[in-house]
Amino acid sequence: MTDEREKDLASLREMVRDFLDDKWSEHQIRDVADGDTGYDEAVWARFAGELGLASLPFPEALGGAGAGWTEVGVVLEEAGRALFCSPYLASVVLAGAALLASGDRPAQERHLPGIADGSLRATLAAPEITGYRPGDQPPVTARRGAAGWVLDGHVAQVVDGATAELVLVVARTPDAGTALFAVGNGPAGSDGLVRTPLTTLDTTRKLARLDFRGVPAELVGADGAGAEILARVLDVAAIVLAAEQSGGAARSVGMAVEYAKVRRQFGAVIGSFQAVKHKCAEMLMLAEAARATARAALDALDRDDPEVPLLARIAGVYCSDAFVRCATENIHVHGGIGYTWEHPAHLWFKRAQSSRLLLGDPASQLDRIAELTEQPTGA
Amino acid sequence: MSVDPEEFRSRVREFLESHAERRPHGIVPEWGEGDDRLSGFTTYTAEEEKVETAAARSWRRTLFDAGLGWLTGPVEYGGAGLGPEHQEIYDALAADFRIPSQRCFVVGLGIVAPTIAGHGGSDIKERYLAPLHRADLMACQLFSEPDAGSDLASVRTRAVREPGGWRVTGQKVWTSGAHYSDIGELLVRTDPEAPKHRGLTIMIVDMHDPAIEVRPLRQITGNADFNEVFIDGLFVPDSHVVGEPGTGWRVASSTLTSERRAMSRGGNTRDYDPLPRLQAAARALGRTDAATRVQLAELAVLSRVVAVTTRALAAADDDRAAFAPALGKLLMTDYLMRLRGVADHVIGPGIVADTGEWGTWVWHELTVRVLSQRIAGGTDEILKNIVAERLLGLPR
Repeated sequence: MTDEREKDLASLREMVRDFLDDKWSEHQIRDVADGDTGYDEAVWARFAGELGLASLPFPEALGGAGAGWTEVGVVLEEAGRALFCSPYLASVVLAGAALLASGDRPAQERHLPGIADGSLRATLAAPEITGYRPGDQPPVTARRGAAGWVLDGHVAQVVDGATAELVLVVARTPDAGTALFAVGNGPAGSDGLVRTPLTTLDTTRKLARLDFRGVPAELVGADGAGAEILARVLDVAAIVLAAEQSGGAARSVGMAVEYAKVRRQFGAVIGSFQAVKHKCAEMLMLAEAARATARAALDALDRDDPEVPLLARIAGVYCSDAFVRCATENIHVHGGIGYTWEHPAHLWFKRAQSSRLLLGDPASQLDRIAELTEQPTGA
Repeated sequence: MSVDPEEFRSRVREFLESHAERRPHGIVPEWGEGDDRLSGFTTYTAEEEKVETAAARSWRRTLFDAGLGWLTGPVEYGGAGLGPEHQEIYDALAADFRIPSQRCFVVGLGIVAPTIAGHGGSDIKERYLAPLHRADLMACQLFSEPDAGSDLASVRTRAVREPGGWRVTGQKVWTSGAHYSDIGELLVRTDPEAPKHRGLTIMIVDMHDPAIEVRPLRQITGNADFNEVFIDGLFVPDSHVVGEPGTGWRVASSTLTSERRAMSRGGNTRDYDPLPRLQAAARALGRTDAATRVQLAELAVLSRVVAVTTRALAAADDDRAAFAPALGKLLMTDYLMRLRGVADHVIGPGIVADTGEWGTWVWHELTVRVLSQRIAGGTDEILKNIVAERLLGLPR
């Protein structure tokens, strides 16, 4: 990491933070939570359109900024801190990483420019994305119809499933295993796609069930490459999500400390009580460690380090846990008022709880880590 | 001394090949072969310790004379004037070789030398820094007292002003390595009238002076790594005061920071992390059940998190860098305490009795030694107070 890039990252962080401090408040979070779309159109237009933040990981030739996943991580860390609600994760990370991994140039040319400038909202539908274990859910199937590929089946939970114009799907094909398909944002439209918004624990990240009833789809990438593409998306997304989680953890610590400095009981500020003090110190440790871990994983991703699958799981497990614990303890430090709907602490808590299952439950992640670390790695 | 990393790398390799034996199987020994003791968690008998310390000092001397003993130190005081990247290169290469344990230098080089470098005048730096790094001198830290542990600033060892210096009387405790040390970094009260934290001074004392008596203190591991030290009318000349009289608390605080930094890195021993050995034990002993797998995976997560966090915090360009050692020590301690719990059921009954089975009984050392991690160098509770009050700004 060069000094110059570090400086650029610091500027990027400042820019995003200033924008969100100015344009994104609790008020907007609650509006999104109460609404259907999962984002604020005007703010998204500025974030992605004017500031170009959705273009970061994509090649310049396709309308991107030609930066790396570390830049995306910085953006998401700030977004996590602010609980910024937007199509970013689903469009830029899930769908974007899938398109990049597919190596399908025509598909990239058709969809990435719109993703990069925020005008096209996209997502990736696969059970593993929302934490289902392989085999838990029957796969979406693809068959060859008269006019092209056709999809049948359903995916129980899809991030931004109700609003994404482009839905990428991992489906089982007759010959070769699984493949990536694109529904929408194309000539065939999305007839037969039924979107059912779900009631969720985290109302700031919308999920929908998608049913495919003979939906026309375009093959993206090679038939049989579905597993490989999905694995890559899971690696990239876990690492980037870890950055978002680390931002949320830091915000939770900040909220708790702020409150501990003003709340008085027994004639003293509660932050002077050792139990509260120590709890805050422990939360800080978790948040700092989460931040460093996400950053180390992002660095590895940008370097194409062979350890990426391992670091993705490590960052996923640790940052999920750190965010949940910090968000939980933040409510706890607030006492009774932390338990009210009116206080914002529960918004981060529910985001933490939900994120923990995104991309794979902790036990599955640990299982994979065990597999990857069981054999000694070289002398 | 070449600064170019590749040239440096081959120079170090050349030195190591000609002065040490390469480890045939890397950091984790082949199961069943050779010494099964865990680096960093071993108890030596008094005789073994003498032999190990002598070997370590001899190694240090050779290393120093080859220009590799103090890579990052300033050239004017005997260092090589190189950067941390060169230290990393050396550490990585040295890990593949059998080198005497460097544990006996943790205090002298990890704690006392940085203090002298940071706060001593040029005379003191010249007198001690090179000899410490060449192992001509060994050092200990004379801080804690029976009535001054966590409340270190309440030390009562007293230095009374005399012409040309100070006359010191008092008692210190938990002094690791005092029995083989030549000098000690002493925290002493020079002004009992001043407020608690202001009347303190740091001095370097001669451990061989007849006014100093070292008595071994037996610890729960059965041996005596540390000692009580009785000081009875010791004369310390002005030239041995580090910084100005009355600045002792500031100097001591940076000593404690160095101590925490050393502890958060496992004393810079590359094979300090017991996890690879524990994973090897699980394979060799057939511990393949799901619960053990998960626990080892959780440790793998923490091991990596501790390493990247310590490094990231130390490199932070804001307030957090000052608290990196405290946070690092807290994280390392938490990790080791959990590892200790997992070791119990990976190793099984061989951890509570020496049955003669290779690689099992040695783990009892870790079980016991880890308890000192939470106490030495600032208890978990003190460190959390520091983080909460000084970094988070919560009221005292």
